[in-house]
Amino acid sequence: MTQSSSTSTGNLNRALLFFLIGTLLGLALGVGLHTAISGGFNTTYWMDIPSWMLGLLLGTLGFFYGLLGYYGIVRGLVFQVVGTLAGILLVSAIRAALGLSFFDPAKFGFHEGAWVFGALVGAVAFLAGVGALTDWWKWAKGEATSDHHEDVPGWRKYFGVSLDHKVIGIQYTVTSLLLLSVGGLFALLFRVELAESGLQFLTVLTPDQTAALNLYNSLMSLHGIVMIISILLGIAGVINYLVPLLIGAADMAFPRLNAFSFWVAVPAAVILLGSLGLGGFDTGWTGYAPLATRAPIGIQMFYLGVWVAGWSSILGALNLIATVLRMRARGMTAFRMPILVWASVATSIISLTATQLIGLSFQMSMFERLFGMPFFNVAKGGNPILFQHLFWFYSHPAVYVFVLPGLGVISELLPVFARKPLFGYRWVALSSIGIALVGFLVWAHHMFTSGMNEYLRVPFMYSTLLVAVPTGVKFFSWVATLWKGKIEAPTPMLFVLGGIVVFLMGGLSGPPNATVSTDLHLHDTYFIVGHFHSTMFGGYVFPFFAAIYYWFPKATGKRLDETLGKWHFWLMTPSFLVLTLFMMRVGLLGMRRRIADYDPMLGFDPWHLAMTIAAFLIALSVVIFFYNMVKTLRSPVTETGNVWNSRSPEWQVPSPMPAHNYEKEFEVVGEPYDYGLPGSVYVKM
Amino acid sequence: MTHAHTSQHAASHGSKDALFQGLVIFVLLAFLTAVEFFIAITNASVLLLSVAALLKVGMVVYYYMHIYKLLEEDDEHDHSSFAWKVATNRLGLWLFLLSDAFVFGGMFVARFNLLGFTRPHLNQELGLIVTSALLISSFFMNRGETQMALGDRKGFLISTSITFLLGLAFLLGVVFVEWPEAIHEGLTVDGSAAGGIFFLMTGMHAFHVLTGLIFLLVILRNGWLGLYSPERHWAVEAAAVYWHFVDVVWIFYYPALYLIGKAL
Ligand code: HEM
Ligand SMILES: [Cu+2]
Repeated sequence: MTQSSSTSTGNLNRALLFFLIGTLLGLALGVGLHTAISGGFNTTYWMDIPSWMLGLLLGTLGFFYGLLGYYGIVRGLVFQVVGTLAGILLVSAIRAALGLSFFDPAKFGFHEGAWVFGALVGAVAFLAGVGALTDWWKWAKGEATSDHHEDVPGWRKYFGVSLDHKVIGIQYTVTSLLLLSVGGLFALLFRVELAESGLQFLTVLTPDQTAALNLYNSLMSLHGIVMIISILLGIAGVINYLVPLLIGAADMAFPRLNAFSFWVAVPAAVILLGSLGLGGFDTGWTGYAPLATRAPIGIQMFYLGVWVAGWSSILGALNLIATVLRMRARGMTAFRMPILVWASVATSIISLTATQLIGLSFQMSMFERLFGMPFFNVAKGGNPILFQHLFWFYSHPAVYVFVLPGLGVISELLPVFARKPLFGYRWVALSSIGIALVGFLVWAHHMFTSGMNEYLRVPFMYSTLLVAVPTGVKFFSWVATLWKGKIEAPTPMLFVLGGIVVFLMGGLSGPPNATVSTDLHLHDTYFIVGHFHSTMFGGYVFPFFAAIYYWFPKATGKRLDETLGKWHFWLMTPSFLVLTLFMMRVGLLGMRRRIADYDPMLGFDPWHLAMTIAAFLIALSVVIFFYNMVKTLRSPVTETGNVWNSRSPEWQVPSPMPAHNYEKEFEVVGEPYDYGLPGSVYVKM
Repeated sequence: MTHAHTSQHAASHGSKDALFQGLVIFVLLAFLTAVEFFIAITNASVLLLSVAALLKVGMVVYYYMHIYKLLEEDDEHDHSSFAWKVATNRLGLWLFLLSDAFVFGGMFVARFNLLGFTRPHLNQELGLIVTSALLISSFFMNRGETQMALGDRKGFLISTSITFLLGLAFLLGVVFVEWPEAIHEGLTVDGSAAGGIFFLMTGMHAFHVLTGLIFLLVILRNGWLGLYSPERHWAVEAAAVYWHFVDVVWIFYYPALYLIGKAL
């Protein structure tokens, strides 16, 4: 024990050292290249964002190398770097052979097509390097692979390909938290700029004002998309870890596909963040054409990163649906499935299908830039509104992808802590499917001011308002479940209750946006920003934290500290409420979204200052949460029993969960949420 | 249990009737394709063209892709049994095709959004020729799969090779004959939205044909090595279903690009 922990601190020190070396090396390399390209050195080169990104890339690589040696993710990243260079050189060589220009100092040295192709090859190379393709290659050659997969013992298995859904669930969750931190950091940076009217902060980080504004736009855009990817990975983590346990399966239906789905998200994240090193982009996360056709080439990395990450969503959803349809325990009929399983299926229906359309819209915009295909260019018969239709056909339903699992977690935990049956189980189960299906028919409510055909407005207004019905069913059930319950409120329950309140605010601020007459005023203001932050915090962030606090003992055999958990909650909730309500207020008064500066005469300065402070408090609360995790994992105290006195099968076996889940298949013999009813049984182990 | 499943499997596949059925379906498909072309050069009724396309797709999806196998009763509980795995893989494959259908659906809708009921100026006869190549390849693919189920390895290899060659002919025809001709006629990649969407749709479809060809090479190689048996040839079934799916997409794209609407 002491032996292994001392080697891992040794590794950690080495990792930090290598991180430093890698960062400095990358930075020096970047500055050196800049000097070589422009034929002279200038001290402002030390501020170059591309060089810093190169530094961060090599630093990260160094970090993992120091930690692990040449293994797993390190191999993947090395392959990705080499693959990217190979792709870039290949395209450049072909262009040179064809007599086309292949060197473009304005585009970081290479032609845009070379960058895009290189990044794509890099992503595939990553997957080959990390080992996510090995078994399939064997299958293609007709070789058999073992059914039973064993992992290397200890923590190293989390850094390489594992086929165990529990390992993959944790890999997803940790990656999600990492991206949450990165996205949060971006937000803090541009929130500081907004704290006061005028430009004062980002100009310090950049050589001139244009660069500062560009950095603002890039940070704002990346904040949005990094958070979205973080959410997608977070729900995948929750689903992956829990659904097989809840339905009594030994694993997901396709374990290799499952590993692939996780690992493909890693190069995607690298590409996405790489956009900052290639000039960033100024379109926001929506990437609308025609602005996108004029953005720096960072936008290509944004499009490509999202496209690659989309495969993670699509294939993960495919796996989940197959798992639930084929691998439920005996006796688990549809209406005895846990609500979280229903919600995961609903989410997956959307991810499986609609994701393809954001992929298509992004591809079309990429092709417009690369090959001049004028899909969105009016002068050549294109139609920019088409981009928005394709984009929102995914991106509206996607908001339900973000929240349905979270709402499922709420329904899952409430009965446990209210010690009462879930009110209206069947209705709640069906409401998830209802929301998902109606959610397919509302996308154009994002386009009321876009200039689309006017006759589309009213139908989309009504279909949008219709979503409130199944959503209302959930609220009704939650309130009725709490009613006269014997409520206990440890940290997970606090986050559940907080989530309900915050999601209610998000829900109530939705209909004004859905009503055409009011949306004409609200569109593209901070009111929208307030609206969607409430929905996503209430529907995802709060339930996600609730789920982590609740299932942490299951995964690790240790329980997170209650006091620190309460600090986390009581710091985050009021701060968030201040943030979102003030956003809505300044929005109503005319504050536009996605701008770096505002007129001091509007009188928004104090409100913005308060929002910036609130944002930092939220960040502080999350730091407390991270500290709590580290502290708990290091503490020797274990908690292996049914911590929350739950009826769910995963709590009927000791924690942490054994490698192959349940020793014997269990049988479902009753209703899942009959808490407090004497003599009722859900599963027979 | 496993035994019952196998014999059921054999019953749906393993008789000479299945070969004959494949032929009948092919004749009907060919007939409908001819009718379609006739409609297009006479009154170009969108309604009739849609009906013809839907009928063709229905037949391919039911008889060649045997979608009904998804619903076959399967009370296999042993998750390590071959029968359970094949049924689960089949579900996975169909979910993937559903997902993929959304990309193609998106481009299809985009085509009507951009061009309405006009169509790019293209050579309709050439379109008919490449379409026929793909259609005939589907017939041989079905034949190859059925022969494998009957234990006729040689027949399987021949039919699948013909499928491969026809697929290759389609791919080369689109990329090296159709595209240059379209460009020659003024339909360029970057000249107009019509050109853009034409190259996007045919290009994305051609990419799928290419992946299908690679898949066919894999089953040809492994079939040659004798790695499949009448009871165990999931890869062959998967490749066949995927190949037919690519054909289904073209059944929609061909009228959408070549037949429907007024030529620009
Ligand atoms: C009662 C339910 C809801 C209604 C009626 C509603 C309505 C709307 C409408 C009409 C807009 C577009 C406003 C505009 O841009 O002018 C909007 C924006 C948005 N909503 Fe909702 N919404 C609801 C729930 C949700 C939920 C559950 C989420 C997600 C987690 C969500 C996330 C978003 C996001 C992210 C945007 C902004 C997208 C952007 O422009 O960047 N909404 N909402
Ligand atoms: Cu929406």
